[in-house]
Amino acid sequence: MKPAPFDYVGATSIDDAVAQLASGDATVIAGGQTLMPLLALRMSMPLTVVDINRVADLRGVSVSDQGVRIGAMTRQADLLTDAALAGALPPLVTAVRHVGHHQTRNRGTIGGSLVFAEPAAEMPATAVALGATLELRSAGGTRNVAAETFYLGPYMTDIVPDELLVAVTFPAWPRHARTVFREVAQRPGDFALVGLVGAVEIEGGAIARAGLAWFGMGPTPMRARQAESALVGRAPGDIRASEIAELAIADTDPFDDVHATAEYRREVGRRVFAQALTAALAQEGQA
Amino acid sequence: MNAPGGIGAARYIGERMPRKEDGRLLTGRGTYVDDVVVPGMLHVAFARSPMARGRIVSIDTTMAKAMPGVHAVLTEADLARIPVTLLSFFMMPMEVETTLLARDRVAYVGDPVALIVATDRYLAEDAAGAVMVEYDEETPVVTIADARAAPPIHPDAASNVAATMGEDEPNPDLERALRGAAHVVERTLTHQRISQSPMETRGVVSAPQGDEELTLYITCQSPSVIARSVALSLGMPDLSIRVIAKDVGGSFGLKNTPWREELAVIAASLILQRPLKWIEDRLENLISANQAREQEMTLRIGFDAEGKLVASHCDYGINNGAYPQGADANVAVHAFLWAAYKMPAYGFLTRGWYTNTVGLAAYRGPWAMESYGREVLLDIAAREMGIDPIEIRRKNLVTRADQPCMTAFGMPLEDITPADCLEKLLRHFDVGAFRAEQAEARKAGRYLGLGFAVYIEPTGTAGSMPVMTGETVSVRIEPNGKVQAMLGTHSQGHGTATTMAQVIAEELGVRYEDVNVFEGDSSRGGYGPGAAGSRQGVIGGGAAVKAASLLRDKVKQVAAHVLNASPDAVTLERGTIRVAGAEEMTRSLREIAEIAYGEPARLPHGVGTGLEVTYRYDPPPVTFTSAAHAAIVEVDGDTGFVKIKRWISSEDCGVMINPAVVEGQIAGGLAQAIGTVLLEEFHYDERGNPTTATYKDYLLPTIFDVPDFEYVHANTPSQAAGGFRGVGEGGAIIGPPTLVNAIADALAPFGEIPLDLPLTPAKLLAVITGKPLSPQHHAAHPAAAAGDAAAPAPTPDDPGIAAVLAGVEPERIDPPTAAGAAVDGTWKLVMATPMGPQEMTARFATDGTTLMGALESPEGSQEFAGTAEGPNLRWEMKVTKPMPVTLKYDLTVTGDTLAGKCKMGMFGSAKVSGERA
Repeated sequence: MKPAPFDYVGATSIDDAVAQLASGDATVIAGGQTLMPLLALRMSMPLTVVDINRVADLRGVSVSDQGVRIGAMTRQADLLTDAALAGALPPLVTAVRHVGHHQTRNRGTIGGSLVFAEPAAEMPATAVALGATLELRSAGGTRNVAAETFYLGPYMTDIVPDELLVAVTFPAWPRHARTVFREVAQRPGDFALVGLVGAVEIEGGAIARAGLAWFGMGPTPMRARQAESALVGRAPGDIRASEIAELAIADTDPFDDVHATAEYRREVGRRVFAQALTAALAQEGQA
Repeated sequence: MNAPGGIGAARYIGERMPRKEDGRLLTGRGTYVDDVVVPGMLHVAFARSPMARGRIVSIDTTMAKAMPGVHAVLTEADLARIPVTLLSFFMMPMEVETTLLARDRVAYVGDPVALIVATDRYLAEDAAGAVMVEYDEETPVVTIADARAAPPIHPDAASNVAATMGEDEPNPDLERALRGAAHVVERTLTHQRISQSPMETRGVVSAPQGDEELTLYITCQSPSVIARSVALSLGMPDLSIRVIAKDVGGSFGLKNTPWREELAVIAASLILQRPLKWIEDRLENLISANQAREQEMTLRIGFDAEGKLVASHCDYGINNGAYPQGADANVAVHAFLWAAYKMPAYGFLTRGWYTNTVGLAAYRGPWAMESYGREVLLDIAAREMGIDPIEIRRKNLVTRADQPCMTAFGMPLEDITPADCLEKLLRHFDVGAFRAEQAEARKAGRYLGLGFAVYIEPTGTAGSMPVMTGETVSVRIEPNGKVQAMLGTHSQGHGTATTMAQVIAEELGVRYEDVNVFEGDSSRGGYGPGAAGSRQGVIGGGAAVKAASLLRDKVKQVAAHVLNASPDAVTLERGTIRVAGAEEMTRSLREIAEIAYGEPARLPHGVGTGLEVTYRYDPPPVTFTSAAHAAIVEVDGDTGFVKIKRWISSEDCGVMINPAVVEGQIAGGLAQAIGTVLLEEFHYDERGNPTTATYKDYLLPTIFDVPDFEYVHANTPSQAAGGFRGVGEGGAIIGPPTLVNAIADALAPFGEIPLDLPLTPAKLLAVITGKPLSPQHHAAHPAAAAGDAAAPAPTPDDPGIAAVLAGVEPERIDPPTAAGAAVDGTWKLVMATPMGPQEMTARFATDGTTLMGALESPEGSQEFAGTAEGPNLRWEMKVTKPMPVTLKYDLTVTGDTLAGKCKMGMFGSAKVSGERA
């Protein structure tokens, strides 16, 4: 478990990193929580590893009326201690708390998790659920891609080899939006067998907006579009969570693996969706 | 144990002394094998088989040998210059030919094929990837069911039965007894394959000094056993071997004897006359270190109308893998299945099976399946017969009053105490209150369960098997009054430096702080099996008691002479010598020691100088430990997850040396039991590919999964010196049935739970919902070749380990040179996927550097476009089933053949070869 030889380049700026990526078979290293094991297993054998840890412009959280912009190199642990973020986007903070372990979150970054595209991971589904946009930079310029179209399959995204994820931008959600979150994992910190993340906004006694996505329930984060549509316009008291859960399950495509069958994932997903939705609608907040 | 209890008497036995080794180990100052650096040392990596079964057509090491930093690339033909005989723990040769490296065939994924020696491990792994092996793949035999049906996997074996014992034909008397029983239960239970997963993986530094001496630093369970075993294996009686293993990061049975890789490194070091280091990495540990369990048991038990045992029969199988560390039918299962119970008649058929999987080794409580089968079926029988699970045990356990007696298997019992452990457990715990709470919870849709299990365990075995010997302890008081103890015990993390110091300090009458314990070196102490079979407390502790008390007698003899007092009036406590009624004669041990070493004239007539004793202790043939455990769980009705709410251990391990160490041993075994029941499973797909080859998929219990245990110490002294009983393995033996019984009790309203471990959430939710959420056995991964382009089909959880092992990346070495041959036309392609070779037909049409084509497989045809730059063909195609993945082909045409690879996203690369159709 020793990596194959590679050249190491410590990027000093975004432009520098992008220029390095343009020069050939290169891989970006951020927190290294995924890449290091892949290098050690020789499942990844890049010619060049471009280290973006010292690029200050890739770090930080900025909260404005328009939403939240988070630099790709921002550590997961830092997202848990950012007071402005905690007020602006509670579903994201809840989801980050479930990413790996305390120790891995000290190194792991939001950008690394978003680009790795593990289908059972929390961050990609959170980006899809909350309507985030990914800002990709290459020598040719900047490209903004909606999270929902970014994920193509397990570990496969729309990013091309010479592009660098610079930041993720979440649209504004009102402070009283309710968090919907549930993760079923065999051990704390494991990837989910079944996961659900999102937000529900209630205005004037009815649901004005809903953003919900599954993780671990298909080859990519699976947006629960039918469930979202069914929720909008309904008063919380008129909602039968089990019916919405059926619609949400209809938008999943889970698989069998050594840990659980697809049928288990659907069965549990149906139950935990209804529970999480009911809990969210019962949260204190302005109606 | 007989220290006079005078004022100032220091009691150490039974105290929670802080561990002597903790400061060093917890601050990173331990010395494990990888910490050892020897001048001139080179590093070893292995090239390993990517397939479960195949014939080796050719091995080409040319490219690997030419790589930078590579000193040697050795195959079995090279190592065979030193004939090496692999030996089992019992020092017996293997039943089937077992070579250090694969010679002409590979028998499991991970089978070592070549040994690479380089200046560092990175370069060695680079070269391992460049060893070109051509295989003729064969259909593997993976499971016990496969093995029953298939011709032998080993050419020198008559069948796949590795070992067998018991009765092939039904015993008429036993069958009659079972037919006549008022109630019979019969179930089949299966136990998954387990990786011992020591924190310190296998490793060795082999440092030859010419042909006469060899120093081995090797992580192991007994340096003296390793020294003996290696000498026998090498057949070099004149070679002086010293084995050093100062600290060991857990073994759990894996490191009893050196196996293929360790012996290959030793042989290579002797051939090359260079010190070599090999540290098994975690991937190697999970796929090529021997493993354990993988058993199936069909157990029948007959009861009379009152619930008393009448007769029992067991049909049993255990997967031995390809090269077990001794072919094994696991007969100990049958020896102990009914040992603690009054069972009038028992019969069995037990077999071990060869398969194309990694070999079988020991694991904490290698016979643990007996407790799992018996205790779980007793609960099922109790439920069926309407008897309380406690009562069915009370009716049948061997009590103190029943002894001495013989077990159904013919073992004498004198002092087992399982029934006492159960009663002491019940005094600690209000069963009635729990049943009321359980009933209330069920009304609210919450599923609480209570499970019990009772067992006995043979510990400290000696004298009945040639390798299970006594232990030697050497103790000396140095002239400065400090005590040096040299022991054959060997801490794997157990804390024997602490417990043995406690015994010696108390028996000798010195301060605990003044006792230094030295172990982990075959040149110290004496011959003994070290950490194997829950024996160190019983035998090492007994030897320490005996040696220390003899030395104490000599101190008193010398002191009495020097002080002109009666030996009976002399006491030694905390290193101070006193004479009763003569305070002015008080002396320090140091004063007496200085005289004993330096002033022979002041010693009694006929007494030699020095204060040192070596004692070799042979304990009773076996010392039994007994225990009863109870666990309370809650099963989540929505997810099938199990939460352990309470776990109580009531064990009789005799006199406790250090309760904290005892509890640590029980807790460690129970943590492994929890992993066994809920999480761990080493899984092979139907092609024999390991699919749980990293800790992402092989789920070990974490601190979140293990509760705080409660301990009832129900101790009765044993008949061994010191009164100790072993406690090393019990938690791993009694833990599984305790937890399974609790889960079964929780879900009893829904029906019976499956008995194939692990009890995953999917299996338990299937019981709750009545829906088939989990196959009885894991299905293999979705078939390869699904999808339009015959794409291999790794799932996100399958990292394609075989592809990693195949790992040759021609692009990183030498791009093949090829003539600018025309590529247009039809080609037959074979892709070597992790699931086996996939055949396809490709049609190519080039236009300048543009490549157009189509790829056909039995599943369909898909067109593609790419580039053709001279002989280099590159194209990409997306497939959607069973997983969306982009396949990137990169092939080079040479005449009428082509070769290259297909990159499959994150799943690694597959080699592709082909020829013109």
